[in-house]
Amino acid sequence: MIRFESQRVSLWYMRLALVLFVLQVTMGLWLSLNYAFTLPQWLVDVFAFNTARSIHTNLLVAWMLLGFMGGTYFILPMECDRELFSTKIAWLQLAIFASAAVTAVVGFLFHWTRGKPLLEIPFPLNGLIVVAALLFIANVGMTIIKAREKTALQWMLLGGVTFLALLYLFGMPFFKNLNTDYYYWWWVIHLWVEGTWEVITAAIMAFIIMEVTGVERKVVEKWLYVETGLFLFTGIVGTGHHYYWIGAPDYWLWWGGIFSALEPLPIVLMVVDTWMHVRERKSPIINPLTWTYIIGLAIYHLVGAGLWGFMHTLPPVNYYTHGSQVTVSHGHLAFFGAYGLLNLTIFYFALPRLKNIRRYRDTAGQWGFWIMSIAMFLLGLTFGVAGILQTYLERFLDIGYSTAHITMMLWFRIAFGIGLIFLGGVLTTVWHLFTLKPIEEGAAE
Amino acid sequence: MTGKTARLIFWLGTLSSAAIFLWMTYDFHRLLPTYTKVDQLSDEVVAGKRVWHKYNCNDCHTILGFGGYYAPDMTKAFYRLGETNIDSIVMHPEEVYRNSFRKMPHLGVTEPEAKQLVSFLKWVGTIDNRHWPPQDEKYVKAYKLRETRAQQLNKVDIVLGTCGGCHSFENQGRNVAGDFNDIAKRISYDRETLIRYILNPQAVKPGIGMPPQNVSRETAGLIADFVLSLKIPREVRR
Repeated sequence: MIRFESQRVSLWYMRLALVLFVLQVTMGLWLSLNYAFTLPQWLVDVFAFNTARSIHTNLLVAWMLLGFMGGTYFILPMECDRELFSTKIAWLQLAIFASAAVTAVVGFLFHWTRGKPLLEIPFPLNGLIVVAALLFIANVGMTIIKAREKTALQWMLLGGVTFLALLYLFGMPFFKNLNTDYYYWWWVIHLWVEGTWEVITAAIMAFIIMEVTGVERKVVEKWLYVETGLFLFTGIVGTGHHYYWIGAPDYWLWWGGIFSALEPLPIVLMVVDTWMHVRERKSPIINPLTWTYIIGLAIYHLVGAGLWGFMHTLPPVNYYTHGSQVTVSHGHLAFFGAYGLLNLTIFYFALPRLKNIRRYRDTAGQWGFWIMSIAMFLLGLTFGVAGILQTYLERFLDIGYSTAHITMMLWFRIAFGIGLIFLGGVLTTVWHLFTLKPIEEGAAE
Repeated sequence: MTGKTARLIFWLGTLSSAAIFLWMTYDFHRLLPTYTKVDQLSDEVVAGKRVWHKYNCNDCHTILGFGGYYAPDMTKAFYRLGETNIDSIVMHPEEVYRNSFRKMPHLGVTEPEAKQLVSFLKWVGTIDNRHWPPQDEKYVKAYKLRETRAQQLNKVDIVLGTCGGCHSFENQGRNVAGDFNDIAKRISYDRETLIRYILNPQAVKPGIGMPPQNVSRETAGLIADFVLSLKIPREVRR
């Protein structure tokens, strides 16, 4: 059911992304064991928390990027009404990216690291990532340039991936000053997740919603402009909410606080427009699960990134919650709600088409969606309770770090249990996506 | 709304925000010396930052509140722990945390590296970051008092500001090397021996894990008085 042969290249991006997703969650469970129980010294010496954490977070970034790239390669030919500029480049880029990612993870096990959270990948491998990114941008750019018809969506997508790659460069130099180091660290992390990634999300979702609901392009693109405009307006200056306690001028408290407090607005718009387009659909619902994902993404995005972020973004609150388990709670809900679900929505849109399935059986997929969504929400609540407890014990009652953490251990054990259930949901979903089966048309309904 | 208005919102929103942000970035660099001691960024401090990265400390510890939440924040660690404690913790974590519920890996940090790390953490502690993290402010205050007017320290300042990195006192401080109430009951030293012990534990009790404390004799005396006063049962003290 794909219109262009070159769309097939996206299949392997998505498959690899799903494998990394499973590994990431498994590593997360290991991390929670570190929190919940006392591990023997010999084990800590061999495989320490910091190594496991760098694997957990880097796998996250890797499967997110693979999903974005695969998704882009899947929708771009349809949007440009022509084949990709080059499938060879796409394959080469995948090979470079995947080998850099695998080498990085193995390297972490042997302490080959830059020791900078989330950006631990050592320099030679960073070079490979840059090469892969350049190939990707060139391929996307050339496909768009050669397209007969130019659309807003194409440019938005190209702009999003180009700035994503550009921002990565700010994390690469060695800064002597720790405060400057973290100033630019957020140019990567914040301007990714609250900037370029949001633009890519908005563009990809606009396309998927248009295809699935059959709503007019003119309407969808109008929403796209307003949403991305608001995302970037609030998100760019909103970076300031990370600069409260790093040693920076006072005005960041105001600018960072106010702009970041407005960050949920575009996500609210996204929920509204998704809801409206689904209600005013021109096409019938063929695969209910895909629609569930589209709506689930909009709502979870608002809760995890919007609401949870808003709760501790203002300086008087953030003074007490910064650098505690409250951030862990927000991080998990936001990444899963906004980007985990985005990738899965892309996969549920693309994989049936790649396998030439019009209607797929979705029982296992439904279970997977609900188990993952509910378990992750409970996990967010559990981390939240641990975080409020930590904040209260350490920063209000002035009880020492270790005493506070011993009190929190119960909640880390609960988190481990919920994590197991979440893993179950992930395995179900991944298995379902790998083995999509058609419903025989014309069978009794 | 027309398509034109929508496009206008996009460009206006993006460009205005980017312009404000870039101006603030320029201003951030201009004011950098006000907030961080750029003139004190010596080779030793930079070498310490490289050690910090080399052992990937930041994926367990937060610094400025960023990084892993698995271990305490290091922004004001110099004030909380002091030089000798940082040395012994990073070089012999398996000893220091033998009885702790959470372990730190033995990383193989060498002595020169530990010294560089201390310089780095000392420099980081001087960043003017609006007194964050809140729970470490007492250590900063106590450190500064200890340097200037030791007689003005109160008991909590002494106990937590000097010893709280490892010892606890009624739920405060860190429960790594025992609570002062238990220690007071256990020890049989007189005041002089206890002062000598604080300054150089090995001289009094060879083989003990506690590192020498870099406090003045006067402060050591105040601590000794405090610990010995705990020998009297709580009811009598009241």
